[in-house]
Amino acid sequence: MRADLRTLAGLALAGFLVLPLIPLVGWSVAQGWRFPDLLPDRISAQAWTFALSPQSGVLASFATTTLIAATTTLLAILIGLPAGRALGMYRFRGRSLVLLLLLAPALLPGIAVVFGLHGMMLRLGLAGTIPGVILAHLVPVLPYMTLVMAAVFARFDPAFEDQARSLGATPWQTFRTVTLPAILPGLMIAALFAFLVSWSQYLLTLSIGGGRVQTLPLLLFSFASAGRNDITAAIALLYILPGLLILAVIARRITGRGAALTERLHP
Amino acid sequence: MLRSLAVVLLLSTAALADTPDGEALKAMTWDQVVEQARGGTVNWFMWGGSDTINAYVSGYVADRLRADYDITLNRVPITDAADIVNQVLSEKEAGVTDAGSVDLIWINGENFRSMKQADLVFCGYTGLLPNDTLINWDNPAIANDFGVPVDGCEVPWNTVQFAFAHDSAVVSDPPRDMASLLAWIKSNPGRFTYPAPPDFTGSAFLRHVFIHAAGGPDGLIGPFDQATFDETATRTWAILNEIEPFLWREGATYPTTVTQLNELFANGEIDFSFNYDPAQFGLAVQAGTWPDTTRSFGLTDGTIGNTNYTLIPFNSPNKAAAMVVQNLLLSGEAQLEKAKPEVWGAAPAIEVSRTPPAVQEGFATIKTHPSVVPAAELAKAALPELQADWLTAIEKGWAATVGN
Repeated sequence: MRADLRTLAGLALAGFLVLPLIPLVGWSVAQGWRFPDLLPDRISAQAWTFALSPQSGVLASFATTTLIAATTTLLAILIGLPAGRALGMYRFRGRSLVLLLLLAPALLPGIAVVFGLHGMMLRLGLAGTIPGVILAHLVPVLPYMTLVMAAVFARFDPAFEDQARSLGATPWQTFRTVTLPAILPGLMIAALFAFLVSWSQYLLTLSIGGGRVQTLPLLLFSFASAGRNDITAAIALLYILPGLLILAVIARRITGRGAALTERLHP
Repeated sequence: MLRSLAVVLLLSTAALADTPDGEALKAMTWDQVVEQARGGTVNWFMWGGSDTINAYVSGYVADRLRADYDITLNRVPITDAADIVNQVLSEKEAGVTDAGSVDLIWINGENFRSMKQADLVFCGYTGLLPNDTLINWDNPAIANDFGVPVDGCEVPWNTVQFAFAHDSAVVSDPPRDMASLLAWIKSNPGRFTYPAPPDFTGSAFLRHVFIHAAGGPDGLIGPFDQATFDETATRTWAILNEIEPFLWREGATYPTTVTQLNELFANGEIDFSFNYDPAQFGLAVQAGTWPDTTRSFGLTDGTIGNTNYTLIPFNSPNKAAAMVVQNLLLSGEAQLEKAKPEVWGAAPAIEVSRTPPAVQEGFATIKTHPSVVPAAELAKAALPELQADWLTAIEKGWAATVGN
């Protein structure tokens, strides 16, 4: 009975998430779908043909967006993992100040940050470049990465690392065989967050990229604001693809629990 | 917000002469310009909301540039040219005078005025373009962009004239002048609306009512005049407030963009849409957004026409290549290609009579999309565009007295 209820709740949730996407599929192939018609006049591949043609730049933009989001995620891991470990495992002076500073980009409205950031990037010669956009994306991405990792490390027991080291493992071996498996589920969630936060940036990309770095959200908005529901829907469907893919790949793995990731042995 | 920021920046910007690379270009022959342009890349910032226009630029234009001049055309789709004006402004503020990110902008009106006033434009080179001879600079509608003299700072690309669209299956006999349109609105409650300014198209509709209230455009040509404005404005607001209860949703709310207006029309909630570029009607029908029975018309008392242009910012690092792009866009062949209804259906900005015979024949055989009123028919009753100061005064007045 309880299992049935759970399945039902799961289905309801899934439906709630998937239902809004169904009209998108319709829009992307519809021609002459006007209120109050239930079905479109014609079905056409026009929007898809355009979206997938080299002239539209959608596929090139897909590649750019993936490159930016993946690099941003990687950099965020390199910075956020050690930072999260320090914040989660150690009590040190100024810790709350560091936390506040880390949270600041997530709390401040983006538009307030953008103008100053743009001036800085211009002076550095990074405005209008992909590296500039990646650096800019790190601003909203790092808080997520660091805070999730801090929460993961708060429950991490370093005694397991000590055991490995005392048994003769090198620091790298210790990290690879003890630390990483323990934090992997959390790291994956943090990486997913980081990827999707970067993937969905609009304002930062528009201002720092100056229009020259064309990510999918920019392209999507340009067609949405022109009232092209068919092309907007086709691009929107391409746009949600990576999120679904990543979720499908890691969904099974993020439920696992490592031995080192239990309630801490020491206070 | 962006607009007020632009004003602040404008006020703080000192005058600046053209950059050295621009001066050097102006001293060259066209062949030397083309030589310098070879292998270059042009970042062209343009409104990106039409798949057909995008395909024309990224297809036909880009292919010819690559084949003939080894120039890479990078079309950068944008939503509002005002953003790009701000971008060039902030580059200037940051001291970026020779490595700007923008090489070419599709622009006109207020945005051109802002750029010209802030000295953000590369000027005085248009005579170098071989296809400059195809432009009739004696035509005041070409030589002035919303009343602001072009002064060799931009190159015309298309001419457009305001027109109304209706579904002939719903409204078979639409009103043909402003007075009967206003009467129609009152006898058909809830079937008409217009986008609230500062939407570009909504603002243009207001100017038609304004000119109607003034009894014609004659007293409104030239610089802004407060006394004339006050008198005409009083009558304009009276007309607009009178029709307000008969508008869509009793005028309690207005669409904020022409896109919303088009959507209301597509869904049959209102009976008219309108646009500065009637070719858009044909494109909407081709895209399946609007019914095939869509037809369009001008007003017998005239509709406003204007020209849109391409412009090179002062700090473009690829001016030579951008000039080659402009010259290609002006060519009879390129203008003919975009005049084809299946490509775009845009009216040429050049004098067709000055093009080679083959191009002239091509223009003669073009059949306008049935939903698009032919440019020649619209041109029979054309109104000039008012200067930008009138525009802003009308938009402000509307917000205070009608849209409140």
